[in-house]
Amino acid sequence: MKSLEVQNNQCFDRAAIQFLDRDDFRNSVSELMQNNCRMIALTPVDVNNGRKIIAVLADSSSSMIHMVGGDFREGKLEFESWANDFPQTNYFECELSENYGYVPLNHPWLRPVRKQNVILKNKPYQFFKLEGEEVHEVAVGPIHAGVIEPGHFRFQCHGELVYNLEINLGYQHRGVEELLLKANQNQRIILSESIAGDTTIGHVFAHCNAIENLSNTQLSLRAEVIRTIASEIERIAMHLSALGGIANDVGFALPASSYGRLRTLAINSLAAICGSRFGRGLFVYGGVRFDLNETIINTVVENLKIINDDVREINKYLFSSVGALSRFEETGIVNTNLAKSIGLVGLAARASGIEEDTRINFPYGAYRYNPISMITLATGDVFARARMRAIEIEETIRFVFDQIENIPQGEIKSEHGRMAANSGVVSIVEGCRGEIVHIVFTDEARVLSNYKIKDPSFNNWYGLSLALRETAISDFPLCNKSFDLSYAGHDL
Amino acid sequence: MKDAVKIRILQGDPIVHDVKNVVLPERYRGLPLIEDKLCADSCNKCAVVCPTNAIKLNPVSIDLGLCVFCPLCEETCPESIIHFSQNYHTAVDERANLKITSEVKSISPQMTSEKIRKYFGKSLKLRQISAGGCNGCELELNALSNVNFDMGRYGIEFVASPRHADGIVITGPLTENMANATKICYEAVPNPKVIILFGTCAISGGVFQNSEALQRKFLQENKIDLFIPGCPPHPLTFINGLLDWLNKSK
Ligand code: SF4
Ligand code: SF4
Repeated sequence: MKSLEVQNNQCFDRAAIQFLDRDDFRNSVSELMQNNCRMIALTPVDVNNGRKIIAVLADSSSSMIHMVGGDFREGKLEFESWANDFPQTNYFECELSENYGYVPLNHPWLRPVRKQNVILKNKPYQFFKLEGEEVHEVAVGPIHAGVIEPGHFRFQCHGELVYNLEINLGYQHRGVEELLLKANQNQRIILSESIAGDTTIGHVFAHCNAIENLSNTQLSLRAEVIRTIASEIERIAMHLSALGGIANDVGFALPASSYGRLRTLAINSLAAICGSRFGRGLFVYGGVRFDLNETIINTVVENLKIINDDVREINKYLFSSVGALSRFEETGIVNTNLAKSIGLVGLAARASGIEEDTRINFPYGAYRYNPISMITLATGDVFARARMRAIEIEETIRFVFDQIENIPQGEIKSEHGRMAANSGVVSIVEGCRGEIVHIVFTDEARVLSNYKIKDPSFNNWYGLSLALRETAISDFPLCNKSFDLSYAGHDL
Repeated sequence: MKDAVKIRILQGDPIVHDVKNVVLPERYRGLPLIEDKLCADSCNKCAVVCPTNAIKLNPVSIDLGLCVFCPLCEETCPESIIHFSQNYHTAVDERANLKITSEVKSISPQMTSEKIRKYFGKSLKLRQISAGGCNGCELELNALSNVNFDMGRYGIEFVASPRHADGIVITGPLTENMANATKICYEAVPNPKVIILFGTCAISGGVFQNSEALQRKFLQENKIDLFIPGCPPHPLTFINGLLDWLNKSK
């Protein structure tokens, strides 16, 4: 085997990666994808040496992560694109090209990822354009109508129908990866909490798992469980927020405001645990900063009970409304094959019938001992993405109650050591939107040499584009909300 | 219909009636209080651990415009001089007033000019601009319109078009990529207009202050009317800041 195989969070020696020549590299990666592996990163091991890259692929069926090295020290930074056969690599190749100057030959659609005013093939980048009679273009953003993050959307329409939606992002780019390389350990935690502020816990969880495994730090079971509880409360909060948004976008005020009220209870539970409504300050290397005591557990349980009872009623009301269903059903469809081929992850993938949940496929933290159930739906439309959230909230609350009931005793913080030299780790976490990946490498001085982040939104924005095809432009807000993607997480 | 009534009843009365005197969770970190005690000789532990360089020594002070409420300094200080209180009234109208020393026990914005109060005292419409915000600040601003905080009852609301707005609320550290859009949006707001910075990132760049991807010229070129510190700030900090500033809090 030419790839290095590791498990989630397994610290490995950098020297164990074989760096192949370009053809061998390309073929090995293709072979893995043929065998159902998904690309999760394409990046150098050391940011100062962009000529040696790795492709990282995840195999959900075996729970293994494959790493294939490519050596481009000789000749041009070029390789034959995989994207024509495996569309899932499309955006990863664009990113590698933008950051390190690679040219993926015969790439179907090389486009900017985070930069603006990009020159590609000696020309300023041009948006995709549709020509013909009765064709028109709608451009929205970067600033949108609501209180929301910025991004630019270009619709090519024929009458009411969208033929193509191009999503152009990068407005939130603030250099998180670069800053993480320069940061001290106190700053690294805060930076990770700020990658996507709505998934604070998801990202800081991935970050801590990575650094702790690089330094062989063992956590107490209690700390693992507290982390997991917080992470699941974050999921409940974001699912409620998205459901509220979805209801709002079909003009259904009562469920919208009710979901909003319940979300307040969820984030106030996080505030009870750690003082911040988004879980900031909870994670430290080696465990958590704040312990649970009886008062806090009571508050959390009480809040979750209200959510659990009320949300069932609200769900019943929303999902039995003919008006709402007529907007949800068969709107913005991404079918299973399409979702697979473009590499959709997380909730959106499960709504399209793909059994993919990091908590189950690549278990970490307390999920290693306490399993959570896999939930999927088949239709891949707005209905499925909304319904998924409703079902996941129920399952998540069940899981949290179970955790709280059986919470292990013990310390909440263990000694945190130094990171190993010349090592690497791949850390995958299921955030509220899906698979979060942090890939971290150290050099001989035990200093970070590369820090690569992949937010689930990186994969899923393209899913939104495709969901809009042949869909009325007036359904865009609804489709958008049903994906509820992060700009900050994508832009980094 | 029956179901709708049922859900309305479940909703109860969720609104925060008295926005001035809410008791936030015990672990909530609001205004820091610094004890008037001498530090141990040459101790600089708090300043060293602070991830955003918010602390100055001799005497100890915390710049809330930089602080992310993490709370490493409180944890680290061997003399327990620093203590984060649950006081969420932390908005100010002058950047300098965000500097907390042992003398400062509370902060609040000065009432704004008569002209601004005359124009916006009854109704203030704001356009929000996210310029590199992580969506933490954006979510808290969104929460202002939910059934708990319902800021609309004070005549303060977010609007879609800058043309309909009386001012802007900026979140995030102001990225290079948003510099132009921020400027255009601000110019589209008719005069007189106000600028409010929401969150540590907007006020100082916060944890991103050393990023090369920022472009904060806009903030130097324009007068800022209100600073709302926090990472992210609590919705109540925003409401109370505005009410004090417009002299609407009774
Ligand atoms: S709480 Fe604020 S002042 Fe204290 S260390 Fe953290 S960022 Fe610095
Ligand atoms: S101040 Fe904090 S919450 Fe607000 S945008 Fe910055 S990092 Fe996010």
